[in-house]
Amino acid sequence: MTPLLEARSVGLSVSGSVILEDVSLSVGRGEFVAVIGPNGAGKSSLLKCLGGLVRPTSGEVLLEGRPLGRLSGRDIARKIAWIPQTGTDMLPFAVRDFVALSRYAWRQPFGGESRSDREIVDEALHLTEMSGLAERRMFSLSGGERQRALLAAALAQTSEMLFLDEPATSLDYRSQAEAAALVDRVNRERGISVVMVTHDVNPALRSADRVFALKGGILAHSGEARLFADTSLLRELFGTEFLALDGEGARAPYIAPRSMVG
Amino acid sequence: MPSIIVLSLVCLATAPFIGMQSLSLADIADEGSGGRILRELRIPRALLGWTTGATLSLCGMVFQALFRNSLASPDMLGVSTGAAFGAVVSIRYGLSFTLFGLLSSLSACSFLGAMAAVATICAAWRLRGGGISEGTLLLSGVAVSFLFSSLNMILQYGGGYVDTFRMMRWSMGGIQTVGFSSLGAAVPAMLLILFMAAAFSRELDLMVCGEEIAMSRGVQVERVRWLLFLAVSLSVGMNVAVCGPIGFVGLVAPHICRSLVGADHARLCVASLFFGGGFLVLCDTAARTLWAPAEIPVGVLTSCIGSAFFLWLLIARGRRNDRWR
Repeated sequence: MTPLLEARSVGLSVSGSVILEDVSLSVGRGEFVAVIGPNGAGKSSLLKCLGGLVRPTSGEVLLEGRPLGRLSGRDIARKIAWIPQTGTDMLPFAVRDFVALSRYAWRQPFGGESRSDREIVDEALHLTEMSGLAERRMFSLSGGERQRALLAAALAQTSEMLFLDEPATSLDYRSQAEAAALVDRVNRERGISVVMVTHDVNPALRSADRVFALKGGILAHSGEARLFADTSLLRELFGTEFLALDGEGARAPYIAPRSMVG
Repeated sequence: MPSIIVLSLVCLATAPFIGMQSLSLADIADEGSGGRILRELRIPRALLGWTTGATLSLCGMVFQALFRNSLASPDMLGVSTGAAFGAVVSIRYGLSFTLFGLLSSLSACSFLGAMAAVATICAAWRLRGGGISEGTLLLSGVAVSFLFSSLNMILQYGGGYVDTFRMMRWSMGGIQTVGFSSLGAAVPAMLLILFMAAAFSRELDLMVCGEEIAMSRGVQVERVRWLLFLAVSLSVGMNVAVCGPIGFVGLVAPHICRSLVGADHARLCVASLFFGGGFLVLCDTAARTLWAPAEIPVGVLTSCIGSAFFLWLLIARGRRNDRWR
């Protein structure tokens, strides 16, 4: 069976410097995949290549067996929804209008918002507990609320995959946990595949089925998530010492840099 | 929104009756000088003013969305100056041809000038990977403006008295017209940008959210951007060919509209159209009555109002740290 998304020896160089080299990976239906690695490893670039935002300079990306380069923006958007890292803090739109914009790929030119569009938007707002904030402007939201609004927007795109770029950046503990729980739930209950890019191995251990580790633009390791609780592997990847802390009843050990624990 | 439309139409409807010689509705049918002033001067002038204001306002709205910056407008970024340069070239060298039976040589040259300015700005924008800061964007606009206005001055300096006066007077921007002929170029310019802005209103909404979000929602960002740049250049070019560069309408009108009707571009299109139209008719009426019997070019008046508004914007936004409200 063809995987939902497949990268075949993808390479990317920008003005002479190599960002990615010979990266191959696949994402199955309903699978939760994490891409980890230190800063500058090419994680975000890889995600952009996978999502068709950037065209790889070598290799190809296949979506349901079809090369991304031959699909239109709308075709891709119907399959892949994206939660970006930053840049949405100043938006002038009301939350509801912002979420409704995600229906773009499904709407006819000059067509208005259909009834099913409206229902989908309402449901996405409800699921992310944003219904009460629907009329608030995006720029007036807190970081956690904005993250939920972005998730609502991604859900309203009714695609089969969700791309997350560093979802936990600049969120407090509770907002982080809530956002992560929502993503897990969407993945489990709706069978939406997730590709998450993160420099923190813990969310990957907790939620992902499989992990791909990038270092210097090259796929250094890949495999089942539990393999990445190995501190010597992490030391090699991130260049610093780690401790694995086992909590009571925890699904996976918590990984902390040794220098932070003291 | 309805009040914008009503006010705008009221401006358009009353402007012809205000002026040196007060006229009333009864004069329309008059065979004497009153009726002729109304039919051949005042009414065409009000219509041309309205069309021009609407065009500039819509172009400003599109630019502000494309550059994600409420200070970007065709005149701020030097596009109007570029268009003016094109037109001055065509006046100076007495070019005379018709393109596709539609564009006069003046329009075509203005369009090329506008394109040259847009291309320069875009080159700067792209060289910085689209991540150009607001300051750099506006500064490159200033640079482009200066470049084209100095080129203008070179041409004017080298011209004969008659040509030079025509070029200078024209580059101040004004709405002088006799009869309805100049509407022939101004109305298509307005319809073009109105159609494009309305057709791409959803794409504009998404592009305000940033390139990444727009692309990930399925917008063909590059294509949309080029189509809209082309449309703005063509509209500004065609309009500048008729009225000369009229500054700041494209900055002020969409900005005020956004604070009145919100950021949704489908609504913003309608609001900008009517607000820009009404605003320029109002300014033009003021320009021809304030110092009567002398007339100041309306471009000079809008620049006075606009630059004060611009300064206020800069200061107010600095305090709020919010680029889009």
